[in-house]
Amino acid sequence: MRNALGVFSVVALLASAVTLIGTDSATAQGGGTIEAEVKYNGPPVVETLKINKDTQQCGTDAKIEKVAVGANKGLANTVVSVPTAKGQAPAKKTVIDQKGCAFVPHVVVMTPGQIDIKNSDGILHNIHTYSSANPSINKAQPKFKKVMTEKFEKPEVVKVTCDVHSWMLGWIAIVPTPYHGVTDANGTTKIENVPAGKHTVEVWHETLGKQTKEVEVKPGQTAKVSFEVKKK
Amino acid sequence: MRTAPAIALGVLVALGLPPAAVGQQGDAAAGKGVYERKCALCHGDQGDGQGPGAERLVPRPRDFTSGLFKVRTSANQTPSDRDLFDVITNGMPGTSMPGWSTLPEKDRWSLVAYVKTFAPERFKEPAKKLELPKEVGSSADSIERGREMFEAIECNKCHGTEGRGDGPSRPELKDEWGFPIAPANLTRRWTFRGGKSRTDIATRLAAGVLGTPMPAFLDSVEKPEDIWHLTNYIVSLGPEEPRTVSLVTVGAVSDDIPVDPDAELWKTQRPQDIVLAGQVIIEPRNFNLAIDLVTLRAVHNGRDIAFHLTWDDPTESKAEPDKKVFADVIALQFPPGSAPGEARPYFLMGDANDPVYLLRWEQGKGAAEVTAHGPDTLTPIAGSEVAAKAVYSHGQYRLVLKRALVAKDTARASFAPGVFTPVAFQAWDGGAGEAGAKMSLTTWYPLTLEEPRSNRRFVVPPLVAVLTFAAMVLIIRSANRRHHL
Repeated sequence: MRNALGVFSVVALLASAVTLIGTDSATAQGGGTIEAEVKYNGPPVVETLKINKDTQQCGTDAKIEKVAVGANKGLANTVVSVPTAKGQAPAKKTVIDQKGCAFVPHVVVMTPGQIDIKNSDGILHNIHTYSSANPSINKAQPKFKKVMTEKFEKPEVVKVTCDVHSWMLGWIAIVPTPYHGVTDANGTTKIENVPAGKHTVEVWHETLGKQTKEVEVKPGQTAKVSFEVKKK
Repeated sequence: MRTAPAIALGVLVALGLPPAAVGQQGDAAAGKGVYERKCALCHGDQGDGQGPGAERLVPRPRDFTSGLFKVRTSANQTPSDRDLFDVITNGMPGTSMPGWSTLPEKDRWSLVAYVKTFAPERFKEPAKKLELPKEVGSSADSIERGREMFEAIECNKCHGTEGRGDGPSRPELKDEWGFPIAPANLTRRWTFRGGKSRTDIATRLAAGVLGTPMPAFLDSVEKPEDIWHLTNYIVSLGPEEPRTVSLVTVGAVSDDIPVDPDAELWKTQRPQDIVLAGQVIIEPRNFNLAIDLVTLRAVHNGRDIAFHLTWDDPTESKAEPDKKVFADVIALQFPPGSAPGEARPYFLMGDANDPVYLLRWEQGKGAAEVTAHGPDTLTPIAGSEVAAKAVYSHGQYRLVLKRALVAKDTARASFAPGVFTPVAFQAWDGGAGEAGAKMSLTTWYPLTLEEPRSNRRFVVPPLVAVLTFAAMVLIIRSANRRHHL
């Protein structure tokens, strides 16, 4: 009886997973992929800070990665977006977590709408945003408040801090297009299902600034675009 | 059409509403003139908070171009006109912003209109009234729930376990302009920027304080009414106003006086709050003093005199000369000798000719008797006989200084009932960089000792009563005898 139930739930899970994937790929018709690569010509900039409170959750050293450089000079945490490509915003909500007294991920990108702000640390954090187009937020998120949902309606890059743990820093990039990504540790990101045509690709990095490049996307093909960001 | 407002006004007047309720349409053009005369010195001609006076002020004057206002009763970021009017009228306690109730009301409304012109974008969205949860009155249960919530939402991170603004995040806090900012000392309601009433406190808790690290808690408590439980708890942390005195009284006790500042005796003694000011007469001047209040309890028992001092200081600091850290210090100052004359020494720690006697306590060193000829000329008196014990906990010092009532020489002060002895107070927060002449202080206060309590009060009045009764009996008897004759 128990086994049957187990098998049933596995099947149900699989089925739902398949449906999810199915809906995702349904939008792929006629689009192409942009593979962006961002390189940085310089050493990483990492600061460390001694922590003297909440060490159980935060550890004893905070690592502040101002410029994170991975293998092959890849620049991580860079927002890549295709502002010229318009389309339906994905149904999935963007999520940023506060974990180990850091914003995870350090940089998120989203289309105008809602974002879930999680507190996995189980200690007090406060979401304090710095913005100009959107109203700024300064809300407490005590340990029992696991998720807070906030709204950003206008495109801009919002800085997120926590006053309780002053070293915490995150970025929420609100871009006017569902075609976006953030570079991984190797400095790359893939943006799929971009409508065919000529597009502008924009990259933004918290300390190194902005750049744009033109790219042509062909149906079913992958267009590669490479950026080189210089030390400021 | 033109009669409509007139009728409305008439109705309001008839209802007995004050004109302020309708007179909120300030004239920005008229406000400009008032602003330039009264406000620009600190807030700047451009409203950017960078007037010539701004440099010396902590906290800094508000930058109006940001459109962010600390005190508001709105749910969104836009303050209501009434919020701005109230801040102009009442000022901001604990800051350099005075209340301008001396200005005509019309001018204050005009200022409101003018201040809004510095950030027109921010005022496009009208203020939305913040709806506070249903009010919960204060009670032991409510205060207890408030205490639990205070811990659960970790107010202590900034405000400290006992609310004295000494939390672990205190040194890191900055406002949105990058200037260091101190968390409120919750035991001192009279310094709350947005007012000390329960509604004021609940509103700050619910809406937060814009431009500062203080976040909004309306949606971040377990139950909406927790806002009121927290308010009731905060109100329970300290008196509404300082309990200031103009005459310092040393109570009389008959037992030995404990040196332990946490001994029971001290809890029964009346707190006398002494307000200190920054020393701004000689260099280095102290425009932003750290310690502005010292609470004194004092007793004598006919042999000894003891001073119990309580003051808040968010950091406990000992002198570390290589790190340029100074020690926390407090001093009680008296004229030397036993019969102070008409002329008292200069209150700023005496001068070359007329020294003062100090009972001085320094963190890390302890208590000493000192002769001072000015702030930089201190000479310890040999053979100090002052006993002291200090406790530092959760952002507060408690100290007892105890000494013989009558001194053995005239370099020291002696005390006796029936004599007004001048006393002055000085304090240094070493952690805030205070040392030498950079201190907070008072001028001379008169100090008086209560008459000592002796056992005579249990003997003399009954004796008088008995003697009176005996005399009455004698008189009655002799009268009776005469009558019988």
